[in-house]
Amino acid sequence: MDYVSLMFSKTVGVGLIVGILSLYTISRQKSDLNMILLTDLVEFAMLVIIAAVGTDLAEALILPGLVVGMAELLAVSEIFVSRNELKKTGKKKKSKLLEEFTIKETPNLNIRFNKMEVLYTTPKFFAFILVVYGAILSGFTGGAIIASGLLFYILAKRATGKKILSKELKVSFEGISGLSGIFWTLWILGYIGLFLFPDRWLYFLIMAGFGLSLKVGSKLGLIGELLE
Amino acid sequence: MLFESIAGNFYGIIPLGDIIFYLTDFSLIGFVVAMFFTCVVYLTKPEKQLEAQMYEFGDKFNHVTAEELRVRKFMSIVCGVATAFSMLTGDLFNFALFLAVIGISNIGIVSAVKKEWVLNAAFHYGIIAMISSLPLFGAAALILGKTGTLSIFELSKMSHDLLYLKILYAIGMIGETGVAPFYAAKAEMFRAPGAPYILMIHLSSLLVIVRTVEILLTIS
Repeated sequence: MDYVSLMFSKTVGVGLIVGILSLYTISRQKSDLNMILLTDLVEFAMLVIIAAVGTDLAEALILPGLVVGMAELLAVSEIFVSRNELKKTGKKKKSKLLEEFTIKETPNLNIRFNKMEVLYTTPKFFAFILVVYGAILSGFTGGAIIASGLLFYILAKRATGKKILSKELKVSFEGISGLSGIFWTLWILGYIGLFLFPDRWLYFLIMAGFGLSLKVGSKLGLIGELLE
Repeated sequence: MLFESIAGNFYGIIPLGDIIFYLTDFSLIGFVVAMFFTCVVYLTKPEKQLEAQMYEFGDKFNHVTAEELRVRKFMSIVCGVATAFSMLTGDLFNFALFLAVIGISNIGIVSAVKKEWVLNAAFHYGIIAMISSLPLFGAAALILGKTGTLSIFELSKMSHDLLYLKILYAIGMIGETGVAPFYAAKAEMFRAPGAPYILMIHLSSLLVIVRTVEILLTIS
């Protein structure tokens, strides 16, 4: 059984089905905004077909495809926005025949974003997941993931209009990072000692383990800070 | 070989890593034409457009601000350069990318026009261009999956059964450049003011269509 070619044909079929279905939905759409969103779905079907090839070359091709899709989406949405602005300032619309019988939905754009529940719960959730994952990873990548999680949290807080005092933030961040750096040097010293003085391996092993566990502990402390 | 009879004499390749250009009579002429018109776009000043008024005396000038023109000039130069290099490229995927860039820059050329019908047409053309990236890139990926290469040069040597993939690729090109069935979405765009920039849309589409035909006849 040739699994590779089987998967290839199935994935291509899935991509084509997604594309055709979204073409059908586009044809049924009344709202232009929905149309833009659904055409983006077609782009993703294209990415699925490229990904079906499954070689390194295909992997290299996905990125330009994605970039082109994004650029087209940006261009079209820019045109959508400027056209809507023109429509707003222009004279009133001419009504079509029998227009009063069709349903017209005008999107309510007076949403107060600060009141949305999602904006309060999601950043915490995402930051929590990123911090936990980073703590499990450990090392440089783990630190980077933790930092990106915290950064996301802070930026999300900023976006909702809630200010986090920078002084407070600075103190706690510098405290944690300083502590973490000390433990990191401890851990490194432990490893170096392990190689330089193999006779006293136990002490250095304990030293490295101590540094490592406390470093992870400081990361876990970050989780606690997020949770409260 | 079929390749020579369509594209003319073969002069050699320009290897630039993944992007391999190859020079034939056809591609050289296309490249020179596209570059020449890019220079024309760069050097000329755009014309003003007069609109005749119905039921009134006198004509209406369409005023175009300088800032608007800068964006459109830049976009049409990008369009010209992309057209020129799509003439030379020897890679199916790169050609698809150049096609997409031409589509985007065509939208960009008219995007600064403050006319509702033009923006409407550009919007619909953009939707069509986005949709048609599925057959275009999909066909390129399927050709890669079937033959293991994307190089037009290599594909012209071997013989594969690529009929459906070629049809898909052609459909993608048709949508991306806005020819026959989709022309209705694009035709209104030509009514936008500013002559050499708008004509760049036309020129790039024409050259790219001819080049696609050449590619589809070459690969087998």
